[in-house]
This record gives sequence, structure tokens and C-alpha cells, in this order.
Amino acid sequence: MQRKAFSPYWLLVPALTVLALNTFYPVIYSVCLAFTDWNWGKTSNFVGVKNFISVLTKPQYRGAFLNTLVFATSAVVIETMLGLGLALAINGITRGAGLIRTILLLPLMVSGIAVSLVWKVLLDPTQGVINYFLSLVGIQGPAWLGTVPTAMPSIVMIDTWWQTAFTFIILSSALKGLPAEPFEAARLEGASAWQTFRHITLPMLKPVLITVIIFRTVDTLKVFDIIFGTTGGGPMRATEVVQTLAYQTAFKFHRFGESAAISVVFSVIILGLCLAYLRLDTEEGDAS
Amino acid sequence: MKPKFLPQFGRYAVAVTAAVVSFFPILWIAMIALKERTDAFAIPPVWFFNPVWEHFAKAWTTSGFSGAFLNSVLVCAIGNVLAFAIGIPAAYLLNQRRTPGRKAILVWLLISYMLPEFLFVIPVYVLYQAIGLYDTVIGLALVYQIFTLPFTIWLVRAFFADVPAALAEAARLEGATTAQIIWKIYVPIAAPGLAATAILNAIKMWNELAIALALTFDRAQTVTLAVAGFRGYASIDWGAMAAASIIVILPMAFFAILAQRHIVQGLSLGSVK
Repeated sequence: MQRKAFSPYWLLVPALTVLALNTFYPVIYSVCLAFTDWNWGKTSNFVGVKNFISVLTKPQYRGAFLNTLVFATSAVVIETMLGLGLALAINGITRGAGLIRTILLLPLMVSGIAVSLVWKVLLDPTQGVINYFLSLVGIQGPAWLGTVPTAMPSIVMIDTWWQTAFTFIILSSALKGLPAEPFEAARLEGASAWQTFRHITLPMLKPVLITVIIFRTVDTLKVFDIIFGTTGGGPMRATEVVQTLAYQTAFKFHRFGESAAISVVFSVIILGLCLAYLRLDTEEGDAS
Repeated sequence: MKPKFLPQFGRYAVAVTAAVVSFFPILWIAMIALKERTDAFAIPPVWFFNPVWEHFAKAWTTSGFSGAFLNSVLVCAIGNVLAFAIGIPAAYLLNQRRTPGRKAILVWLLISYMLPEFLFVIPVYVLYQAIGLYDTVIGLALVYQIFTLPFTIWLVRAFFADVPAALAEAARLEGATTAQIIWKIYVPIAAPGLAATAILNAIKMWNELAIALALTFDRAQTVTLAVAGFRGYASIDWGAMAAASIIVILPMAFFAILAQRHIVQGLSLGSVK
């Protein structure tokens, strides 16, 4: 009796209702839609797995999935390493740490669309200040967002500017929370800075690192704003990613069935990654 | 003693470089927004100038911009009220380990948070067209619960975990109801954490693009979309566009400065627990 009084389950009912409405309805609807040729017209025919075959075989679609993978992998690797490096360097600072932290936090507050506009201005081939700085040291800067070889690296760079604060903040908090004793012991045994990092800091940070990496992975896979805002997927589809493709297929070309198929395949990939992460996390031992 | 990987001087060099790289792009856009048209893109750049405010006036009076700003404020406010009203009781219950199905619900929250936007935007678009929620502030605040609610529950739960359980037990023995325990004990003690959660929610909703793009048109256009609109003009007015960007950045930058410590705590807690 006592136990029952302690867990009033109805407290969860509103949350579960909203959650169910917000996930089950759209997911089921999208999955059904993915098997049709609906294009915002009156008719909608069942077409079997045709849309899924298109997603898996059309070069344009495969290209978008590949671009997404390339973008996510590069951005996550760079942002994690940079964030970790910054956290290690800046954590030892005593004066002005609060101010530095606040300034580093700023890019994270900026909307993706404003980030796009800012960087379009900075990276403009003729009027941009980046190419002006490069010209001072005798380098002829490229049309960053305008040519195929430089477009995707530019987007990765923009994302790095925008999101590294996230990895930095979390890894920096995690570093502060590490116990001092192992470091003390390493110092007494005369371990080098690198050895200490490799054998003490890194293993202790591992659970947080995994969390940071999975959050950044999902977020970068879902990239939309900074591509919509800068290149729109161009030049010549060099920066077209899954979410811009799904958006255009549905809201520009009105092929809702195909767009749904793209998103369903994409969700399965993301979900698979999440499950892999949860396994990794529980293998760590203490699942909170 | 934590090990020193860098001498103190090196640490400051890294910190200052990172701060300059982080701040310069925003500063540069602010400068363009304050420069005369002729100075804005002069090569070499004009570093010192008399600021003019006409671009801000122009951006603000551009058709629909101030309305979009108000819409975004409303979406953030309504979205947060909904998330807390629904999320706080759920967080309280999910903080208690004996709640049945606790783990499954937490995983469900995580999955909801991670769904790609265009998976749910099309069904919601069709539904909203049918029931009249398309292009409304309320509709947007409701659909934003797909990420706001899981985030709120996840974070508030972590903050509730720091509230001493003995306080609740004592209140329970004195005959307090669950609602009283939540509102009189948990909420006041976790208040700074709740504030951080509200700010992080507001930042996410304020900056959201994909969903707003698909589910609003004109009446409920958000400020992010209004800024995006500046790209579309045949001859781009860079001064007004830069000013619009600064207007959309300012409120969130203000939050970042005001509540840096709490935001950092909220972000870390969300990922570590």
C-alpha cells in the first residue's frame, strides 16, 4: 500500500500522451507514406518498396547520404579533438576563466541561419575579410563556398566554429570533476604529461567522451540550417545532405512518398547508432 | 596536483586565440551593421568609423520582421510553459528509481529527441493543414515539444536528483501531497537548474529553422525565418541583413552572458547523467 502511494503514475500521463502523439503518429504516418507515390494530389497509390529502391540506388540520393557521412565524421572528429584540447589548455587558467568561457560559449547561442549569413559575408571570394587576410600573406583565397573541392570543407569549418563550444564545455566540466589522486600518483612515479594523458585522463574521460561523440554525431548527421543558409546543397550537389534532400523532395518537388522513404531510412541509421551507443554505455559498467 | 600539459603562458595564448576566433565573426557582422554602405565592404577594411543606426531601423521595419520577433518570443514562452507543466511531474516520477518502466521511458525520450526533423514534419504538416494549426504560434510551440519535452524531463530529472530525499520524506510524514512536495520542495531547491533548462529550451526554439520553415508561412513566421528571408532578395541589402542577424543573436547572447554558469552546468549535466 505504502509503496503504491509513493509512485502516483498519473503524473506521467500528460508527458507520455504528448510523447506518443509526437512520435508514434508521425513515425507510423511516415512509414506508411514511404510506400506510396503521394505528391500532395488527390490520389495516393501503394507502390511497394519502389521509393526505398530509389533511395538506395539513385546516384543523387546516395550522394547525399555519402556527403552527410563525410560531413558528420569530419566535423565530429575535429570538434571533439579541438574541444578536448581547449578544455585541457584552458582548465588550468585562474584569471579571466569566466570571461573566456562566456566568449567561447557565444557561437553556440547563434542560430544556424545567422551563422550562415555571418560566414557567407566572411568567406565572400572578393569582398570577404578572410580572403583579404590571406592576401596580406600573399595567398589567393578560393571561392570557399562556391567551388566543389572547397565547399564541404568550408561547411565543416563553419560547423566547427559554431559547435566546438559544446564539446569544450562538457569535456571541461568532466575534467574538473576528475579525482586528483591518480594524477598525484602518476606525478610521484615520474610519468610524463603524455603518459598521464594517455593512461589516466583519457580512460577516465571515456564515458563522457562517448556521450559527447554520440550527441555530436546525431546532431551533425541531422545538419540542415548551415547548408540551407549557405550553399543550399550546391555547387553541383557537393554539399547536399540527407536533410536538405528530404526537405527539397517534399516541399519543392512535392514527392512526399520519396521524401518519407529518405527520412525513414535515415532514422533507422540514426537509431542504430543510438542503440550501439547505449550498448557501449552499459558495457562501461555503471548505468545510471 | 593535476598535470601541466602547457606552461601558463601557453594556456593563455590558446585561450586568447580561441576567444578571438569565436568572437571575431560576430564582431565583424556587428561592424557591417553599423557601417555606412560605402564602408561596409571596402578593401582594405575600414576599422574605425562613426556608427550609423539606419540599418537596424531598416531591418526592424522590414515587412514582417518585428511581427516575427514577437512570434518567436511567444513560441519560446508557450513552449517553455508547456514543457515545464508536462515535464516537471514526469521528471519527479522518473527521478524515483522504483517507477516501473523508468528505463524504457528514458530511452524513448532520447529517441524522440534524436528523430530527424523531416520524418515528423510531413505528417504534422498534413495534420495541421487539416485541423487549422498550420501557420500558428500554438501549433509551433506544440510540435517543438518533440525535442523540448525530452530535454526538459531529462535535465529537470538530473537537477531533482540533487534534492535531498530526506526533505521529501519528512514532508510526506507531515501529510504533504505529492503535488505539494513537487512545488514546495523540489521546484524551489532546483530553481537555478530549472532556469538553466528554460534558457537552453528558449535558445533551441528561438534558433530552430527546419520545422518552422515547413509549418509556418506568414502569420506565425519566426524571427529565424525572417532573417533567412534577407537572403532571398534580388539585390541583397547587406547592411540590413547584418543588422537583422545581430538583432536575432542579441537576446540569446544576453542570456549566455547573464547565465553562463547555469548554462554550462545544464549542458554538462544533460550529457553526464
